[in-house]
Amino acid sequence: MATQYEIPIGAQHISLLEPLHFKFTTENEKIIKAEANVGYVHRGIEQACCSKFKFRQVSFVVGRVCGLCSISHTTCYSQVIERMMSLDIPRKAKYLRMLVIELDRIHSHLLCLSHVAENSGFEALFMKTMAYREFSMELLEAVCGNRIQYDYSIVGGVTRDLREDVARMILERLKTFKPQLDELVDIYGNNYTLGLKNKGVGVLTKEDVYHLSAVGPFARAAGVPIDVRNETEDRLPWKEVGFEVVTENSGDVWARNMVRLRELYVSMRIIENVINGLPEGDIALDFKGFPNGEAINRVEAPRGELFYYAKGNKTQILERLKIKAPTFSNVPSMVHGFKNNEYASAPAIIGSYDPCLSCTSR
Amino acid sequence: MKSFFNAIGNLFRKPVTTPFPVAPTYIPDDYRGLIVFEESLCIWCRKCEMACPPGAIVFSQDIETGKQEYHYSPYVCIYCKECVRACPAPGALMQSGEPGHPGLKEQNVNNKWNKLFNEALDSRAAYAAEKKRKQAEAKAAAAKANEDNKPKD
Ligand code: SF4
Ligand code: SF4
Repeated sequence: MATQYEIPIGAQHISLLEPLHFKFTTENEKIIKAEANVGYVHRGIEQACCSKFKFRQVSFVVGRVCGLCSISHTTCYSQVIERMMSLDIPRKAKYLRMLVIELDRIHSHLLCLSHVAENSGFEALFMKTMAYREFSMELLEAVCGNRIQYDYSIVGGVTRDLREDVARMILERLKTFKPQLDELVDIYGNNYTLGLKNKGVGVLTKEDVYHLSAVGPFARAAGVPIDVRNETEDRLPWKEVGFEVVTENSGDVWARNMVRLRELYVSMRIIENVINGLPEGDIALDFKGFPNGEAINRVEAPRGELFYYAKGNKTQILERLKIKAPTFSNVPSMVHGFKNNEYASAPAIIGSYDPCLSCTSR
Repeated sequence: MKSFFNAIGNLFRKPVTTPFPVAPTYIPDDYRGLIVFEESLCIWCRKCEMACPPGAIVFSQDIETGKQEYHYSPYVCIYCKECVRACPAPGALMQSGEPGHPGLKEQNVNNKWNKLFNEALDSRAAYAAEKKRKQAEAKAAAAKANEDNKPKD
């Protein structure tokens, strides 16, 4: 038996975006065991939401759980309260929520892709992807008034209307982005050197996904069509605006890249359909009363299924709020995905997991 | 091969970044900026204070006259516009397009604001207590006057 070495990565490391700690046990460059520690950014947000903030203010607090999928958190929270209070929000608000969720998905996926490129040693592609990503940030700023932390969904609707000129600007920018995305698909899909680093690396099979309950693009890359947008229709009408599931079969880093890239085409189509079919009406609902009872809700965040549970007791302050972020569900499969890979591939694999630790430990 | 020519071509292309401090970056015209207060339109209902998630608005009250004063911390504000939506008096609160500025250590923004916030709450409590005391006094005086005015038999 060869000598075994233990190599730690994190919690502060140059190739990690977030404070995440991995401990690898390696044998001749091969990772034979990995352990993860994910609790470095605990901020006690759940407790703050149930003690300090009124239920209408909480949607601004949960927007700060995560910088990348802020809108998924606020929407999911708003929906869980709407479910509890049986509010039926205006159709236009639903459309605008879908618009911002998809714009957010574009910027989040491109960020992840650029980091996979960087961690695989392809700096130029990192720069290129980041440069192409900028348009989505500007669109989000034009729609919500802020580049991150959009504060767009509130309980009962959304905060801002979509202006005519902004809508036109979105459609125009999407047209210019389309050839850029084609170019990225070509590079990520066919570049030989990137393929050496990404193909057949960090494989997660279909059985693993079922056993370890992975979610999001991670699971879809292994051929399992898990997507909340496909499963629930009652809160946001995804099918109406042309949603379809994207899957790949090989389950490696390359497949995750391709799933993310191809999802961007779907997102672009959804955004176009939302803007072209935007219904007339109010953007928010006026309501009175306090939440009472329990409710759960799910939303497809860029990284997978986001789950909220809330319990109200007829007062301004909620009794309990539970947030389960997609990365939390993915931790067991993340650990599993490292096994029998070269140690040098670890950064690319971590990048392709797209971990969001601020969501996980809240 | 294509990427090789691309790389050579990139030597002569313009950079895609904006030279930020020199040239302005993109800011939409309805950018979420600082909150502006218009005292003459305010009806002093304090709805904005109750709606504000981080507690960036607080009203203090003068113990003698009961006049309220508006305090706002641009450093605590998250520019969410909840106060403007909650305000029943149109025009009393507005969101400007002016971006907030970072607070400096010398300005001691956090502690100063927390102190001001607590003092404002105390001043309101003091005013309420004073009002109650005055009312009780007036009531007692009225009762006494009643007693005095009663015809003696
Ligand atoms: S914009 Fe939001 S944070 Fe700022 S004062 Fe108004 S309610 Fe408070
Ligand atoms: S909500 Fe409007 S009217 Fe009421 S106190 Fe605040 S600024 Fe004045």
